[in-house]
Amino acid sequence: MGIVFTRMFSSLFGNKEARILVLGLDNAGKTTILYRLQMGEVVSTIPTIGFNVETVQHNNIKFQVWDLGGQTSIRPYWRCYFPNTQAIIYVVDSSDTDRIAIAKEEFHAILEEDELKGAIALILANKQDLPGALDAAAVTEALELHKIKNRQWAIFRTCAIKGEGLFEGMDWSKL
Amino acid sequence: MFSLFYGLYKYLFSKTEFHVLILGIDKAGKTTLLEKLKSLYSNLEGLPPDRIVPTVGLNIGRIEASNSKLVFWDLGGQPGLRSIWEKYYEEAHAVIFVIDAACPSRFEDAKSALEKVLRHEDLQGAPLLVLANKQDLSEAVSSEELARYLDLKKLDERVYMFEAVSAFDGMGIKEGVEWLVEVMERSKRTETLRIRAGVNGPA
Repeated sequence: MGIVFTRMFSSLFGNKEARILVLGLDNAGKTTILYRLQMGEVVSTIPTIGFNVETVQHNNIKFQVWDLGGQTSIRPYWRCYFPNTQAIIYVVDSSDTDRIAIAKEEFHAILEEDELKGAIALILANKQDLPGALDAAAVTEALELHKIKNRQWAIFRTCAIKGEGLFEGMDWSKL
Repeated sequence: MFSLFYGLYKYLFSKTEFHVLILGIDKAGKTTLLEKLKSLYSNLEGLPPDRIVPTVGLNIGRIEASNSKLVFWDLGGQPGLRSIWEKYYEEAHAVIFVIDAACPSRFEDAKSALEKVLRHEDLQGAPLLVLANKQDLSEAVSSEELARYLDLKKLDERVYMFEAVSAFDGMGIKEGVEWLVEVMERSKRTETLRIRAGVNGPA
């Protein structure tokens, strides 16, 4: 209920800044995506311990994008950032077929969170340049996206280091 | 005591929630239809057609019409995405199948997609509304003509209707939705889904 009022309030008076969380397992490419979106270039990254936050402007909308570290030990802290989130970008390493089942578990656990009830979900099937990368249909299947029945979702194939697919994803998320 | 009254109140006044799938091949106008439904039936302003991008996943619309709650599931129609349609069949009360009536070259594609939908056993008895969309374009064929072209077999035991609409300007949409609510309210499938929901927890 509080969320409803917060949303009403911010939609009436808020500056049009939306909070987007970038989540995913470690080494999925979250930080590369964040800086690709913000600066349009590839930066060399190290594993994120804690978070990176940047303001990204796309089509006149400002997004506050939070990239949270993905290692097992820090995943429990994700929830500190859940309130007032309009969208979740969930990044998956499409070539890491060994861990895609874990990625699925984590994702569905996130969707259960009360504070993220109203957030839309954008799934990025990243690292499409790597051999053996699963395509969008296969990632959809592996993540069991069809179980999502009460929120809007979309999946895009991306290659963060080449910058492919990211802006299509951002175009969608303004919906 | 309170919960007793609350239960009675809910029993008397709560509205059933109907799940309606919006299916069709890509570029048929499914999301434009969804956004139009939102503008027509809720005070939410739907997205204007020029801002709609191809759907690669699921869009959702919730409206109230004819005293019922409707939840629309609009699924992407590109060939690679059609495999997820069937994952949503089991819980759907009815299906809206959208066809671009102004694009005869893709009727065959639409026909085979629709036939595949109708063959699926998870959709048994689900009412079907086929929309001959894009009537705002002069080259669009009528709903009768489209029905003749599709020549659907084995429809006799299924409740269905063809309707000419324009998701762009809203023509025909209200008639379609009214029909849909009416048939869903008395369809056997609704009863079956309600019983199943009752067994597995509160509806």
